[in-house]
Amino acid sequence: MSICFTRAGLQTSVQDCGRPGLMHYGIPPGGAADPLAMTLANLILGNVTNNPVIEITLTGPRIEFACDISIAITGARFKVTLNGNAVNNFETIQIQRGDTLDFAQLISGARAYIGFSGKMVVPELLGSVSTHLISHFGGHRYGAIKAGDTIDFCNIRTAKTVRLAPQFHLHYTPHPQFRVVSGPDKLLFDNDTVEQFYHTTYTVSAQSNRMGIRLHPPSTSSPPARNERVFEQMVSSGLYPGSIQIPPDTEPIIAFVEGQTIGGYPRIAHVIKADRHRLGQLKAHDKISFHPVGLAQATRILREKYQRLSELQQSLATDSKVSLML
Amino acid sequence: MANGDCALDICFASPPSEDLSRCIIGIRQSIQKRDFPGLVDLIPAYQCLTITFDPLTCDRRLLTQQLIELAQGVIESPPRLSRKPRTISIPVCYEEVFAPDMHTVSEYTKLSREEIIALHTHPPYLVHMLGFSPGFLYLGGLDPQLHCPRKHTPRLRISAGAVGIGGSQTGVYPQATPGGWQIIGQTPISLFHPASDTPCIAEPLDIVKFHPVDITQFEAIRQSYPRAKYREKR
Repeated sequence: MSICFTRAGLQTSVQDCGRPGLMHYGIPPGGAADPLAMTLANLILGNVTNNPVIEITLTGPRIEFACDISIAITGARFKVTLNGNAVNNFETIQIQRGDTLDFAQLISGARAYIGFSGKMVVPELLGSVSTHLISHFGGHRYGAIKAGDTIDFCNIRTAKTVRLAPQFHLHYTPHPQFRVVSGPDKLLFDNDTVEQFYHTTYTVSAQSNRMGIRLHPPSTSSPPARNERVFEQMVSSGLYPGSIQIPPDTEPIIAFVEGQTIGGYPRIAHVIKADRHRLGQLKAHDKISFHPVGLAQATRILREKYQRLSELQQSLATDSKVSLML
Repeated sequence: MANGDCALDICFASPPSEDLSRCIIGIRQSIQKRDFPGLVDLIPAYQCLTITFDPLTCDRRLLTQQLIELAQGVIESPPRLSRKPRTISIPVCYEEVFAPDMHTVSEYTKLSREEIIALHTHPPYLVHMLGFSPGFLYLGGLDPQLHCPRKHTPRLRISAGAVGIGGSQTGVYPQATPGGWQIIGQTPISLFHPASDTPCIAEPLDIVKFHPVDITQFEAIRQSYPRAKYREKR
């Protein structure tokens, strides 16, 4: 009852919803970089939304199955084949013992998720099986999956075939805009710097990872004069995923799922929770920009997103409605 | 003060001190006791307590009002802290192989290696908070003679257990991470044990003391240390 990774891919790891509530130990929440895509994989299979998944980054694995199991692939679009035949995202894929699933070319997004109709046998640490890739703990042997690794499964069942209606598919563009609210240190920046921040299209740096997403301003823009006052007034304080810090070189860093819990650079803005899952689909050279919203609006957008998700969950739980999804 | 759409910061104007850290930890303790629904994380820092919450189950305005009242109550009559601070002794080997920046610190401070070790192992350090990376302790109390600027370019990778000085702070890197502090030694013990219910060796307001060990003792402690494997990349 296991699967074997005959090719590992660039950074393939076991993830779930992570470890919230431990930031006072310096432990960031971690978990799936795109939790919405992970949730959809589990909803398609009729799983609890925190059932562990495999997160795939930029280059995918080749997996041989030594068991019959149902899977669903969500998030980034890759060319994926099962025994040489193309398979799609956002639908149940029935796997038989001996099948080979192969991730080829990436088409859009950065991270794909494979959900399973069974439970991975991976030890839980601090209430989660998610791999903390930066600090090397949790997950499958504390790190990314390597070629030849095998993961066992238990409680395998066959999930009924579901194909998610197109309106619930997630799409990713290489030019995304993120909605943000003002950061707690916004007043330390002069108005011009804040204006420039909202009018700049930044390029995602190849130095980005699950700890932080680094951004470059366009080479044509002149960097704003460094405001010494900003740095003198800063004392390290709490950061969490979505916080955007501006270090002295003026290249913004967005704290991400495995980001530091305390930071000392001024925080100009914060990606709203409703848009945070899309940070997980950014890759090097994507062009991103920021759009300011108010706090009340941020909560309203989040509420709407959860409302849609809960409608989807209800429709998947009712047989008559599931047929509408097919 | 709002910190993004999922957190509030309670900030203080007074400079970092033991009293302020006690106050911040007291507020954190009182919040934990009240069990506000929807709260996720409480992150104490030098002058600030960050409270993260789920905006769908927590009303921001109500929470802000309740937290201001609670914080004022704590400031006026500080609660007794629920646990006694512990003193944790951390062995450090300051020998050359583990101290790539000892000569830089020596040149900057005009102190000999022996004087640096004596000054570094002398004071009891106060744990103000944990953060940056899992199990990293922010320590206060470094002798002013040892204050030393951070490296211009941070190292991309420093060893797990590395003991460094950055400005007026000193501390131990629990994991092999990038870092900009001047490295003057290394501890053979692990500061972070994810398999344990208490994953970090210290909590805020605990006291840390460093004591020097030679390479033989360093190896012996490392060999006998049960969870040392967590410090290593596989």
